[in-house]
Amino acid sequence: MKKITIALAGNANVGKSVIFNRLTGLHQHIGNWPGKTVEKAEGTLFHIDYTIDIIDLPGIYSLSTFSMEELISRDYIAKEKPDVVINVVDATNLERNLYFTLQLLELGRPMIIALNQMDLIKKKSMRIDIKKLQNFLGVPVVPLIATQGKGIHDLVHEAVELAKGEYEKPKIEYGKEVEKEIQKLIKSLNKIKLDYPQRFLAIKLLEGDEEIKKLVEEVDQNIIKIVEKHAKKIECFHGHDRSTVIASERYKIANEIAKDCVSLGPSRVKFSDKLDEITTHGVWGYLIMIFSVVTLFFIIFTFGNFFSDILVGSLMSLHSIFEQYFGTGIASNLVWGVVEGLIAGITIVLPYILPFYIILGLLEDSGYLSRIAFLMDRFMHKIGLHGKAFIPLMLGYGCNVPACLGCRIMETKRERLIAIFVTTLIPCAAVTTVILGLVGKYVGLNWALSLYVIDLIIVFILGRIAFKVFPGEPTELIMEMNDYRMPDLKTVAKQAWFRIKDFIYIAFPLIIVCSFIIKVLDVTNLSETIENLMKPITVDWLGLPDFSGIALIAGIPRKELTLIMLASHGGTTNFGAILTPVQMIVFSLVTMLYIPCIATIAALIKEIDWKKAMFITVFEIVFAILVGGVAFRLLTL
Amino acid sequence: MTEKSMKLIDLKEGQKGIIISISGGRNVIQRLTDMGLTPGTEIKMLRNGPLCPVEISVRGFNLVLGNGLAAKILVKVKE
Repeated sequence: MKKITIALAGNANVGKSVIFNRLTGLHQHIGNWPGKTVEKAEGTLFHIDYTIDIIDLPGIYSLSTFSMEELISRDYIAKEKPDVVINVVDATNLERNLYFTLQLLELGRPMIIALNQMDLIKKKSMRIDIKKLQNFLGVPVVPLIATQGKGIHDLVHEAVELAKGEYEKPKIEYGKEVEKEIQKLIKSLNKIKLDYPQRFLAIKLLEGDEEIKKLVEEVDQNIIKIVEKHAKKIECFHGHDRSTVIASERYKIANEIAKDCVSLGPSRVKFSDKLDEITTHGVWGYLIMIFSVVTLFFIIFTFGNFFSDILVGSLMSLHSIFEQYFGTGIASNLVWGVVEGLIAGITIVLPYILPFYIILGLLEDSGYLSRIAFLMDRFMHKIGLHGKAFIPLMLGYGCNVPACLGCRIMETKRERLIAIFVTTLIPCAAVTTVILGLVGKYVGLNWALSLYVIDLIIVFILGRIAFKVFPGEPTELIMEMNDYRMPDLKTVAKQAWFRIKDFIYIAFPLIIVCSFIIKVLDVTNLSETIENLMKPITVDWLGLPDFSGIALIAGIPRKELTLIMLASHGGTTNFGAILTPVQMIVFSLVTMLYIPCIATIAALIKEIDWKKAMFITVFEIVFAILVGGVAFRLLTL
Repeated sequence: MTEKSMKLIDLKEGQKGIIISISGGRNVIQRLTDMGLTPGTEIKMLRNGPLCPVEISVRGFNLVLGNGLAAKILVKVKE
């Protein structure tokens, strides 16, 4: 068996993950880049007598130092030197994709272009001359329709051939003036030996790339002066700053190639354009957005409730079987506590989170979530975020854990922090079961809905405060608006699974351990002591019955446990008999806000640092108690 | 043909312009030029509503820009 490594690189939204899935199937491993909060997808493909490791690099538009993803990608290619780089290119958007291709070529690894979405080329009555493209770029070009699996085999074949044979670096030259300076600089660099090819170093230095500058400075400080001289020359000649000049040069080449290889057909108004028109409309767009979000929640929670009841019923009937075998002693009681934790996790994931994430995934893949990001951008700016932050917020309504991880789409650390903070305030599916099971059922649906509205107001106010408190300028939205398309079911399913995996891996163990601890408290009667200790807060300040103390503690591992504990300690599941409507509202309000559950805290520690995670946790506890007490006083006026 | 320069954000829907310059920090300029908004590039305003960011067509694809960014780009109007 021979081993080769292939890296997939390309812009966002070009079908890179579809190709990755096609290539690796179930042999995948998703983790993080060492020490970074950027996802690393690896997989293996077995092809004749080859074991091929495939790395799916993040979807990016450039190889500058603007984002962690860009830095990781170029470092990986330069340092790990994969045998082949497959550059996935959107055939319908050749010019901008080629801009990235040109940069990849500068890294000097053997490369293939996977020209994807050829089906759309036909649909748009465009034509691409693949031979010509191949000649321009000097690397093999393989046409693909990844969603249908067409061309995948050719791609693998080409990659293996390339890994076996000699690779001749293509020569693509910049404009005369710039190329002259590049060549001169390369000569001055002859003593510098770094992981990057000399031409890449020279171009990056001319561009003013800080990272590369640092690396070169460490070896030879004099080089920087020489760079400065050359960079000044091109700035002088072109009348723009150095990075703009280099970007313009690349785009000029990309434009020429694209113009020469692509012939456009007659343009006509498509259905997707009309859909786009109406869903981003100043009035209709918002109405459709509100309607679709409300419908989504309505379907998920009516369906979820129904399904969850059946699931809980059948799983709980295992209890009597369990007791038959293990008796009703303390030990068996404790073990059942663990089983119960597991059941609770399942009854949240299957009926609520899974369908929610599948529908959300369909909306995302079809392109609708980009439209929502567009509509919400101005609003999100008020809390220092941009439109894309709306996506993790939506995920939060399912489960806060994948939502926190979803905040990675925010570009800067500061924005990630604000986004994560407001995300933890979003009531997840478990909280929703509490709100609906308590307030919705016994006080009225209007009150339940008001809690959501109050929550949104709180998110807005606290988000705005966070925005003012954390220093720094907000990053503005830059987002490609793709045409609507049929979502790829496999990609959607995979995405939903990965999001739920976050929940299972982080939350499940914690849920089970904590359920066990709570059971211990319960069995040993320690819970009464805790209830008494909590009385000043629960009874005096919040106006709740004393048995609510342990219920609120039980919400730390998982929020829906508050309801179960309320029933077991109140002695009935008819909450109307043990709680007044005001108490129900206050209780739900506190449950909604008081702490991100333990799994979310773990996710917070993973995504930001533990200090900030603790700060957010403590703040939310204090804040929830404060709000609960105020609500109690207002409602009993 | 009359030519005048204005901010990208002041273009009306359907109007075309050619990018003259971008003002702002290194990061902003890098991000925008990476997306193809280099000086001399022709763009067309597709959407510019009061509640939303702007959407333009550039180099054959559609790009959404926050209003703050759109105010940093200076264009020559094509009429």
